[in-house]
Amino acid sequence: MAEAFLTITDLHKSFNSYKAVNGVSFSIDKGEIFGLLGPNGAGKTTTIRILSTILPPDRGDFTIGSYSGRSNPGAVRRLIGICPQELALYEDLSPIDNLVFFGRMVGLNGKEARSQAITNLELMGLADRAKGRVEKFSGGMKRRVNLAIALMGHPQLIFLDEPTVGIDPQSRNNIHETIRELRKKGMTVLYTTHYMEEANQLCDRVAIMDGGQIIAMDTPLNLRKQVGSPDTVTLEDVFLKMTGRSLRD
Amino acid sequence: MSRPLILAWREVRSYLQDKGDLAFTLLLPIAIFALMYFAFGGETLFHGTAYIVNQDPGGQYSTLLLDRLEKLNNLDVSLISDSEAESKLQKATLQMVTYIPPEFSTDLARGVTTHMVFRQRGNGGQEGQIVASIIRSKAQEISQEAGLKKTVKTASGSTQAQADTITQRFLDNEAISPLITIKEVPIGAAPNPVNQFLSGIITMFVLFATSISSQALIEERRNKTLERLLTTRLTAGELFFGKFLANTARAFLQSLILLLLAAIVFRLFTPISFLEVSVVALVFSAAAGALGLLIGSASKSTAQASTISALVTMSMTMLGGTFFTIAAGSTLYLLSRFSLNTYANDAFRAIVSRGQNLAGVSQELALIVGATIVALLLSRLLFRVAGEGK
Repeated sequence: MAEAFLTITDLHKSFNSYKAVNGVSFSIDKGEIFGLLGPNGAGKTTTIRILSTILPPDRGDFTIGSYSGRSNPGAVRRLIGICPQELALYEDLSPIDNLVFFGRMVGLNGKEARSQAITNLELMGLADRAKGRVEKFSGGMKRRVNLAIALMGHPQLIFLDEPTVGIDPQSRNNIHETIRELRKKGMTVLYTTHYMEEANQLCDRVAIMDGGQIIAMDTPLNLRKQVGSPDTVTLEDVFLKMTGRSLRD
Repeated sequence: MSRPLILAWREVRSYLQDKGDLAFTLLLPIAIFALMYFAFGGETLFHGTAYIVNQDPGGQYSTLLLDRLEKLNNLDVSLISDSEAESKLQKATLQMVTYIPPEFSTDLARGVTTHMVFRQRGNGGQEGQIVASIIRSKAQEISQEAGLKKTVKTASGSTQAQADTITQRFLDNEAISPLITIKEVPIGAAPNPVNQFLSGIITMFVLFATSISSQALIEERRNKTLERLLTTRLTAGELFFGKFLANTARAFLQSLILLLLAAIVFRLFTPISFLEVSVVALVFSAAAGALGLLIGSASKSTAQASTISALVTMSMTMLGGTFFTIAAGSTLYLLSRFSLNTYANDAFRAIVSRGQNLAGVSQELALIVGATIVALLLSRLLFRVAGEGK
């Protein structure tokens, strides 16, 4: 049996009377790519913010490695890398300066930070643009810089919150290949996306979240089987069947 | 280099690369400084104009008085007509006009008292009073010389020409080796308009930096880099210290440029006093940096931070005695005690104008440091309440 690297137990988080996360529990194995799917407002980003130690949960706990997020957030932060949904980088800096800066923030010395920055930029296909200003980059290139930053410090678990939103197929393909490369190196990935085909291809398992709760969780194949023939049913069919067709905010 | 220093260096580097910020924080003070230079002409001694209605044209003593006034370096003489004087006094274009009466020379020659007139609006204004004092001293000088000539003539029984020669010889000797000499002993730099306004301008611009400082934290939040930073090993304490260092460095850089300009152009400082005012500038820059953090922590948007910063800056500048002296005992004086500029300006002026050292301004510095610590603690507290800390 695979070793669980992330375990979430009965996680709750409310904003005033709104229950953003309502009793979420699941675990992710080491080296697994785990997809967290759900319509807008399902609670995916709030869950990731809690796991990133930015938001404290109201109730419940989680462990990453063997460290509790509640009692040892500092140790948790040493194991994780975050690629937030919105770009979180300094547009007035070059990609290499961004990566070196965040590398120093995760505890690398100057030489290590520079070396990792160059490796990560090569991985993301940005080596030849390492010294340009990020503000002049296309959306896809910025997204790749955003992901490259998350890889600084060799995290063991990486949270990718809709990393491919609004970018061209080439950049998306580059990101997918990068994620597969990372999995080969033993990195664990928690991935959120609205692109069902992407989740179907990339993820070992997916959880569908709605109203702050996990409503289904299995491999993409098994989920498709639950709805019909896996040869004709897509993950999007499963998703729409489980979350309904009504429009969300 | 520790994480706060790396964070601070990134901000300072971005600031130095941003043309808009640079223009606002560095070029604007330099422009104001240039205006000061042209306003005071690079020199700070008094220079005024004596407006004179000469009703004794061609008279021996009126001509002598005008000659002596015109020879003064700090005074220009402008002869105007009676009607022009009347009109300009009525319109308040002039504050003070000197009238030399028609019988001025004749009366003096006869030894009869003659009456010069200073016509003035109110007290004549500051320049008018100084000009009047200069004219009075020159008129008394001529009066004493005329009296001396008359006394010599009477005592020696000589002719007027002989009496004039004897008197002139005495006056020439007196001019070469006067019986009374005056020695000026400057202590520190002389109090002058540059000293008066320089400290105010420096403290005002340092406080302007709070606007950029307060927005730095909000920008970080808006760009989502704040959350990302807080998922690294950077603690909220380190984040605050880094931001504080960056804010302080920005403000100090600005004040240092002004101080260097003042040192070069106005020659206000000795090397020691320059170091001392730099220490005061650094302490006040730290206070402005902490104030920026406090405003940034309390504000939810850059617009809100800008508005609060502008209000705080302008109130502190006005209450801090930047443009006018606030009389002790007034309500304004009581309010001025709540402005950090008051203590920074006092410390600057004490060193620049009164030649005091850092020990002499330790009380002011201690107050500013105290306010800095309080602002830092409050901002950290507000930041945590906002749920961003860890």
